[in-house]
Amino acid sequence: MKEKVTTSLKARTGVWRYVPQEGHWDEALTPGGFPRRHWRDLLVALGRMGPEQLNRRWRAGQQLIQTNGITYNVYGDPQGKERPWNLDLIPLVIDGREWEHIEQSIIQRATLLNAMVADVYGPQSLIHKRQLPAEMLYANPHFLRPCCGITPPSGVHLHTYAADLARSPSGDWWVIADRTQAPSGIGYALENRLVSAQTLPSVFNQCRVRQLGPFFETARTALMALAPNRRANPRVVLLTPGPHNETYFEHSFLARQWGFPLVEGADLTVRDNRVFLKTLAGLEPVDLVLRRMDDSFCDPLELRGDSLIGIPGFVQAARMGNVAVANALGAGLAETALQMAFLPGLSRQLLGEELRMPSVATWWCGDEQPRRYVLEHLDELVIKPTFPRFGQNAEFPAQMSAAARKELAARIEAHPEQFLAQEQVDLSTAPVRAEQVIAARHVVLRVFAVWDGSSYTVLPGGLTRVSQQDQSLVVSMQLGGGSKDTWVLNAQREEVAYQRNADPLVTPRSSAELPSRMADNLFWLGRYAERVESSVRLVRVLLPGLSGEADFGRGASIDTVVHLLGGLGYLPAEFSEGSLATQRWSLQRLLGSMVFDPTRTSGIGWNLKHIRRVTWPLKERLSQDTWRVLQQLETDFSSTPPTETEQRFVAAMRLLDRAIVTLSAFAGLLTENTTRGYGWRFLEIGRRLERSLQMTELLRVGIVQAPFDVDPYLQMLLEIADSSITYRTRYFTAMRTEFVLELLLADETNPRSIAFQLANILAHAEDLPRTGEAAGDATELTVASKLLAAIREADMEDLATRDALGNISALEDILKLIKTGLYDISDALSARYFSHLTPSRLTSF
Amino acid sequence: MRYLTSHITRYIYEGPVSQCLSEARLIPRTMPGQRVLQSRITVDPEPAVMDQRKDYFGNDVTSFAIFRSHDRFTTTATGMVEVDAPGEELQAMSSELAWEEAREMVHAHADDECLMAYEYVFDSPYVSTSRELGNYAGSTFAAGRPYAEAAAELSHRIYKEFTYLPKSTTIDMPLLEIYRNRAGVCQDFAHIMIGVLRSLGLPARYVSGYLRSGADYQGAEASHAWVAVYVPGSGWLAFDPTNDMIPRDGHVTLAWGRDYGDVTPVKGIALGGGEQTVQVEVRVIPVEEPATQKQSQTQIQSES
Repeated sequence: MKEKVTTSLKARTGVWRYVPQEGHWDEALTPGGFPRRHWRDLLVALGRMGPEQLNRRWRAGQQLIQTNGITYNVYGDPQGKERPWNLDLIPLVIDGREWEHIEQSIIQRATLLNAMVADVYGPQSLIHKRQLPAEMLYANPHFLRPCCGITPPSGVHLHTYAADLARSPSGDWWVIADRTQAPSGIGYALENRLVSAQTLPSVFNQCRVRQLGPFFETARTALMALAPNRRANPRVVLLTPGPHNETYFEHSFLARQWGFPLVEGADLTVRDNRVFLKTLAGLEPVDLVLRRMDDSFCDPLELRGDSLIGIPGFVQAARMGNVAVANALGAGLAETALQMAFLPGLSRQLLGEELRMPSVATWWCGDEQPRRYVLEHLDELVIKPTFPRFGQNAEFPAQMSAAARKELAARIEAHPEQFLAQEQVDLSTAPVRAEQVIAARHVVLRVFAVWDGSSYTVLPGGLTRVSQQDQSLVVSMQLGGGSKDTWVLNAQREEVAYQRNADPLVTPRSSAELPSRMADNLFWLGRYAERVESSVRLVRVLLPGLSGEADFGRGASIDTVVHLLGGLGYLPAEFSEGSLATQRWSLQRLLGSMVFDPTRTSGIGWNLKHIRRVTWPLKERLSQDTWRVLQQLETDFSSTPPTETEQRFVAAMRLLDRAIVTLSAFAGLLTENTTRGYGWRFLEIGRRLERSLQMTELLRVGIVQAPFDVDPYLQMLLEIADSSITYRTRYFTAMRTEFVLELLLADETNPRSIAFQLANILAHAEDLPRTGEAAGDATELTVASKLLAAIREADMEDLATRDALGNISALEDILKLIKTGLYDISDALSARYFSHLTPSRLTSF
Repeated sequence: MRYLTSHITRYIYEGPVSQCLSEARLIPRTMPGQRVLQSRITVDPEPAVMDQRKDYFGNDVTSFAIFRSHDRFTTTATGMVEVDAPGEELQAMSSELAWEEAREMVHAHADDECLMAYEYVFDSPYVSTSRELGNYAGSTFAAGRPYAEAAAELSHRIYKEFTYLPKSTTIDMPLLEIYRNRAGVCQDFAHIMIGVLRSLGLPARYVSGYLRSGADYQGAEASHAWVAVYVPGSGWLAFDPTNDMIPRDGHVTLAWGRDYGDVTPVKGIALGGGEQTVQVEVRVIPVEEPATQKQSQTQIQSES
């Protein structure tokens, strides 16, 4: 009976023609080609699905990845772009009983490495007793001498530990790498879970997959308990090297998940040997730093003097016990291949236990016996520098000429302590979706452990990474490999399903704790978003005019468009030459490029790129929906335009109409879904400031500089400002300059007018904090009220009056006054709230 | 010999510095043959915080932070220190231990002393070993030659074959480049000697300190640097390749480490400031016996 079932399974999954690779363990199938017990449900489901449906689900998964903004930065990418996260939908399935072995092994290894690190930075008895070679310290570039003698709270050097595991052809797991510096991948593992659980819901539920959620709570709680003096409500920050780091997405994801501010080095400062966060309201003490920055970069005073991203004085603050750092400074030293040769002995020595899971077999040539073995078995081994320097790679004697092999042996004999040898790692294979088939690719499993208050807890799952090509044993996210979710089966108890922390803006702390750099970014988000909107509105009004389809009244012409674009600085000076047809064609091209060409300065795509730049560091502060809206805009404007002119025009118009709606959604989310904290105020001030600047420019070009017949310009201005209907219903009349000015300059009830913006800026600026570093005179308030008063006092008829030569100097003067004033407000806000961010040279002497 | 020491380091900035964190290694070490009778460090402007600790190498470190705006900053270290005429060092000089044997003992960690000395065999941020540097040793390190004797000759050769040229190098210049130019200041002389020894697998460390001032030489003097090598069984033996001498009671030891970076007398991070000018004045005045003419001449050569 049983045999019959498996045969039919084989037949059904056989639809996919999945063939494991010879000579490797396959995760899904037995050597006889039958599904392994714990893979059956999944394989049956995949068999039923067939390629089409799986592809469809994969695309849905990609969509989720896109909208969640899951990315992985690739160093050296010429486009400097984040790459969307590469997730293969078929998870790696691990049997519950097998997982217990992995779990126990990882707990043991985390405990062991923590003890090793504690000894290295403490009594160093391991090297004195010759249980660890002195090279582990003296020759290890990650041994940070200034950190000796610093004992972290509870002796926990490793808050987080990760290990890369591989499975040998015999089915045994091996540790192939230890990660103790600032292990990455937990966030990606969680995102993979969200995507796979949503795209394969029924088989996910059927499989009783263990939940990841509780692990994150454990990690957070235990982390908080590590704060110095066990302070009740410690302030924790997540320190990132910045948006250019390869795993920045994960930093922002975890910060948001755990509700810790995401900070860069410049956001922190050390005073009186304590670490502080620079916020709008002043300096706030920090108790614990969750560090995703490599330790040697953390303090330019005591560690790497050339680090521009660190915090001077950080090591001393840790030394004095005023701040806890996780992982502790110096912990990065335990990632060596060298230690692998000594862990079995250390385990017996420090824990009194045998090592549960072996490392990849490692021989250090600094000891005589292993050296002899290595020299005798060169062909079977991979030779590596004990501590690789930049550019040094592993060597494969099996592929070498006899001469080269001899030369390598000589090098080893000359400086044996500089070399170690490892067994070639064999990786198991697992099924991977590849369009029409399911192919076998090599996998490496990264597993994670966190300190739980008394020992370590292991994430019941992990980040599975997949080699890119069939035969390749190289598994690297940097090189473009993919990833998988990892399903650990046999959930025993009721486990809490993971919930995304959807409302990061609601935090128990006051919004005055907004880091100053965030305020700066929000201010610029407001400005760039408004720039995008004004470009969209401008192009949307001008483009139809060129096709002769829109009705601006009698005078709409190429001339009008040329004048407006020229005045706003979009056209080269020599543009007015050439025939009407040439001009029309060039204008279409220009406006088209503003819509479709992201490299065009001041174009829509260009400003969207700036939005991306300023929103990256804000990621954990913006709601999912806001993020999605911005993502939508960017996706829309990066689509490839049609080449045919007519279609291009239609596509552009449709894009612009859509953009207006999307931008309204953005504005609506800000109004309806955002708490009125300082962050929101800065964003609003940015928007209002930019909108008044744009309107000032439009009035200058459209009225002050307009030729004699001003009517078509007035109509266009109203159109751009979305105020035509108001004008018609209010004035029942033909175009009059003073009425247009009334509406676009002075009317404080029109959300497009300059006066409306100024009144809002004034109201927001009055509510900004004026304590601590932000105390002092309030230039922005005086300037804003002065401008508002000037507009309120002005008589629109006077402003609209032209002299005999057609000059309209009163209006010109007030617009100049407004423009200068707006720049003053921007400068005053920057000086007051963002001043310490102006790049300061760090001088080393 | 008893000395009054004074070491003034003054930084003058082009623009204002809003804050500055700094570390000074300006308190002489207490060790066999050297006693610190008095020591005091003052900083202007007045720092908000000032701490004292021992670093990894056992040197005294004074760290401080200034948070008010300033355009110059001065540290003044004064003290009284007593240095004995050498006794043990001379014994070590007569050690017959061959250099290869010394190397073997250190690499095999023959005892705990050897293990500790092993740290000084490896590359450090300012001293990278290389075959080229190792080759410089040449016949000086002939097979079986006593380590102390060979090291003394190496120090002598560096003194003779390299030109002492103030301001000819910067701290960021690669050691090999300095080596090829055959010119530098006392830091470079010390780094070169350390580099040659380590390229042979021998332990050598960097020592920072002062030389006594001569009676007729009271001008601006600077901090000095020399080298110590570890001879198993005898201990650390100092050589001053800049002056072609074995330090005696005219050398005051401040600190030691793997290279200049571990023992920089004053270093720090300043926010703002722009271009900076550094002025250093060191005085080491004997307080019991007047200095002899001969010693003061040595001093003139050794300014670095």
